[in-house]
Amino acid sequence: MSIKKLVSLEDAVKDIPDGASLGLGGWIFNSQPMALVRALIRRGVKDLDLIPVPSSIAPDLLIGAGCVRSTVCVFISFEQFGLAPHFRRQAEAGTLKVIDMDGPGIAGGLRAAICDMPWTAIPDLGTDLPKHAPQMYRPLPSAPGERKMLAAMAVKPDVCLLHAQQADEYGNVQYMGPPFFDAMLAQASRRVIVSVDRIVSSDTIRRNNHLTKLPAAMVDAVVEAPWGAHPTASPTLYRADEAHLAEYVKASADGAAWAAYLQRHVRAPATQAAYLDTLGAARLATVMVSESTLV
Amino acid sequence: MTIVKQDTEPPALGETLAVLLARDMADGEKVIIGTNSDIQLAACNLARLMQAPRLWWISGPGGMVNPTRDHLISTADFENIESAEAWMDLPNMIDFIDWKIHFFDFAILSALQVDRHGNINTVVVGDQAKPRVRGPGTVGISALCGLAKRFYVVLTRHDKSAFRPRVDFICGPGHMDGGDSREKAGLPPGGPKLVVSPLGVFDFEPTTKAMRVRSLHPGVTLEQVQANTGFELVVAGTPPVTEMPRPDELALLRQRVDVRRTLRRKFP
Repeated sequence: MSIKKLVSLEDAVKDIPDGASLGLGGWIFNSQPMALVRALIRRGVKDLDLIPVPSSIAPDLLIGAGCVRSTVCVFISFEQFGLAPHFRRQAEAGTLKVIDMDGPGIAGGLRAAICDMPWTAIPDLGTDLPKHAPQMYRPLPSAPGERKMLAAMAVKPDVCLLHAQQADEYGNVQYMGPPFFDAMLAQASRRVIVSVDRIVSSDTIRRNNHLTKLPAAMVDAVVEAPWGAHPTASPTLYRADEAHLAEYVKASADGAAWAAYLQRHVRAPATQAAYLDTLGAARLATVMVSESTLV
Repeated sequence: MTIVKQDTEPPALGETLAVLLARDMADGEKVIIGTNSDIQLAACNLARLMQAPRLWWISGPGGMVNPTRDHLISTADFENIESAEAWMDLPNMIDFIDWKIHFFDFAILSALQVDRHGNINTVVVGDQAKPRVRGPGTVGISALCGLAKRFYVVLTRHDKSAFRPRVDFICGPGHMDGGDSREKAGLPPGGPKLVVSPLGVFDFEPTTKAMRVRSLHPGVTLEQVQANTGFELVVAGTPPVTEMPRPDELALLRQRVDVRRTLRRKFP
């Protein structure tokens, strides 16, 4: 008999302590675990050490709400809207510690964590990263003529937050689009919390079991959060909400406007349903048209 | 739809850079481009309509192979999947992106800074602990610059803050300290081939691996480009004038690759 892992948004994040290292999944404007991030901010968590895969608003919102003391930066960008506003401001003020890493470093580090090894070997690509972050990159000996290698030290988040399109109540999680780094992040993390746009029956899961990228044994808690990636996209279900992202960037430029944004969209709405009401049906309708015919 | 074979409206900056890059691609080559890459995406899809129909390109962000549309959308947009012939799981892609030497013929990258030896920086301007400008980070740039057979740098501004004697943070290795220092650092042969900017096209002198003027765009003088570059450029004789996009190239670009005219809007 499988174990039921379906919990409420609040219960999913209630045990994440101050000072936790927190992995964040998705990819730039795709599948960022935004409903979980907002719930975590409402809880008043502090001093997080973030480990985001290439990201946008998930780390930036946590940083802007004052929940973060350090972050790994593989890539944090608002793409066509410019640089991530709060990440940029706090990094430039020197108040946010940023540990820069590259793709090989994070991928090698996650693989090491998945396999319970202290590190895995990656090529030395001649960058300034090992000098900047010696705790993440260690030179390895090499024989003459051999490729120069580094040890990518294990990256093992205490908890990771992910978003996918559907799951059953036992935590079999399905991706209708690319799973990006989510499966690696889940395997490397001590605890895995996933929000999905919809809970479906186990029969539905079994009919399309090739979509199950996170089998239940890899998942600790699953939350039903319709539009849970908003304002980022949930592949095949809704697009990124570019108008909302532009509003976010604009609000971030001004202290009073930012406080108002946080109050309206994060602190006041106690549930995902209340958050969706802050947006309105008309806004959601503009992003639910997808050109994709994948599923 | 009527296809006009010639388009004589003068090119916007983004269109010029896309055409200059597209011309340098060979048929059958394997290419990777990153996020926020409108010019790079346009260049690849244009090359596929010209001399390189079998160019194979993959979008680093989503793993989409050869997405072709008649307009430009973010390479990180999942809607690219619809028009791609494959999408690859990132953990599998990483093996050839981050480890494998010369899998890619080339990558095309933009940067906050590029230096005289073609090293690039997308991390910080100034000190990493308290930077003057905090950039988006390194992601795959280290591996693409380090392991591809060659790479291109595309910059939409040309001034002394972008063209530095030495970048503040090397996240993409070019020719390192020049000469044979790239090989001495243990990297495979490769490095930057061309830098394209609003003022001209630049390559690297074969021995010193210092940046050299290859051509200047119409109306641009050597004095002007040197005054906007933070180090002394190598100049051999009188550089030719860049061959600007031709009406037939612009017609293809505007009717088959970028019908929404994104390049003109973003990079006028």
